[in-house]
Amino acid sequence: MLNEEKVKLMTKMAAYEDKEGKKFLTIGSFFRGDYISFQVIKSLIAATLAYAILFGMYIFYDFEVFMQDIYKMDLLEFGKKVLLYYFIFVVFYGLLSYVIYSIRYSKAKKSLKKYFFRLKQLSSMQDIESRK
Amino acid sequence: MSTLLEIRETMKQIYTKYEIYITPVLKFILSLFTLLLINLNLGYMSKLNSLLLVLVISLACSFLPINLIIVISAGFVLGHLYAVSLECAMVAFALFTLLFLLYFRFSPKDTLVILLLPLCFLLRIPYVIPIAVGLVASPASVVSVSFGIVVYYLIAYIKQNATALSSMDADNVVAKVKFIVDGMLNNKEMLVVVIAFSAALVCTYLIKRISMNYSWIIAMSSGTVLNIIFLLTGDLMFDTNISIFGLIFGSFVSIALLMVLQFFVFNVDYSRTEYVQFEDDEYFYYVKAVPKNTVAKTEKTVKKITSVI
Repeated sequence: MLNEEKVKLMTKMAAYEDKEGKKFLTIGSFFRGDYISFQVIKSLIAATLAYAILFGMYIFYDFEVFMQDIYKMDLLEFGKKVLLYYFIFVVFYGLLSYVIYSIRYSKAKKSLKKYFFRLKQLSSMQDIESRK
Repeated sequence: MSTLLEIRETMKQIYTKYEIYITPVLKFILSLFTLLLINLNLGYMSKLNSLLLVLVISLACSFLPINLIIVISAGFVLGHLYAVSLECAMVAFALFTLLFLLYFRFSPKDTLVILLLPLCFLLRIPYVIPIAVGLVASPASVVSVSFGIVVYYLIAYIKQNATALSSMDADNVVAKVKFIVDGMLNNKEMLVVVIAFSAALVCTYLIKRISMNYSWIIAMSSGTVLNIIFLLTGDLMFDTNISIFGLIFGSFVSIALLMVLQFFVFNVDYSRTEYVQFEDDEYFYYVKAVPKNTVAKTEKTVKKITSVI
């Protein structure tokens, strides 16, 4: 026999798993520290690539001047400057993504609470059914 | 008003019932429209201009996720720019990659704004976007709105200077890049539009959040007025040649469009029919869950009593 209440519950849960719960469930499967550090590392890689592109564009834009000056300028000083800017950029972006992903993790956990509550309900329903 | 409300209810019912067909059709129209406009406005690569190709891609897009439409459109733009010169495509590619790396990791949903903004520019009603985004999204979307503006002006700039760019010495890569980047950096009009749209977006967002009656309408109008003021001030300061008539007229059209959008889209919960599948120990379930819609009943009020016994 079909248990109507159970079908309703399962439908709601399946709809949640399909739509808004989809990304929350993946986030919820990680520990907080693991999730955030993984995302921050990804952000750092993205920031490094972005900086490389920006730097490349900058050099390319002023290529002639740069080539003229390259023998005159203090390359060590230039390198230091580039690294410093890189460091500032990456740290800022890393911090930003840390904040964003912390908020996202707590949001996901909050949303998953209801889902887990329904899961518990479902399992107790199944317990009762199996005892019959 | 009551007829409008009834129309809205009917639309809602139709959408709930046929959502499975309506969404792909809308996606198809969006991608067809986008690709055709790109081809009409750039159209330097003859291979991409074929209508058959556009139709096939749009058909495919109707079943693919919406973010893919933007990737394909970006591909089309890059293809056309490549036909002008490699350097144009390079600059645009660098710009797209930067945005993808730095911003869309956080909010992939915002991609639609980038697609719609250049489209609205071509339709001469870009003023609708910052207000609409301010109404439904967060202030962080300033980034994607600004980027949409930059993309539009980059395309416009290259289109304007296409002959100059393609006639430049092919070996002189650096000069070409410099020409494009300089053109973008010195584009005061772009800067003014970015500032005005950002201000309008934030203003709309802040006013919409205030809990008072008609906050949506007040937010819309004040956002639009602020936008006009910023654009006109920018025009005076930098002599950007913004057409005042176009601005005022476009803003009016935008407000009208926003009213329609607000009434039919933003404030209505188009909850969909869900099709879900699951199983337990005994059965497989294929469930169609239809949301219970509260249909607004037309209230009958006695306005006039015609006969008295």
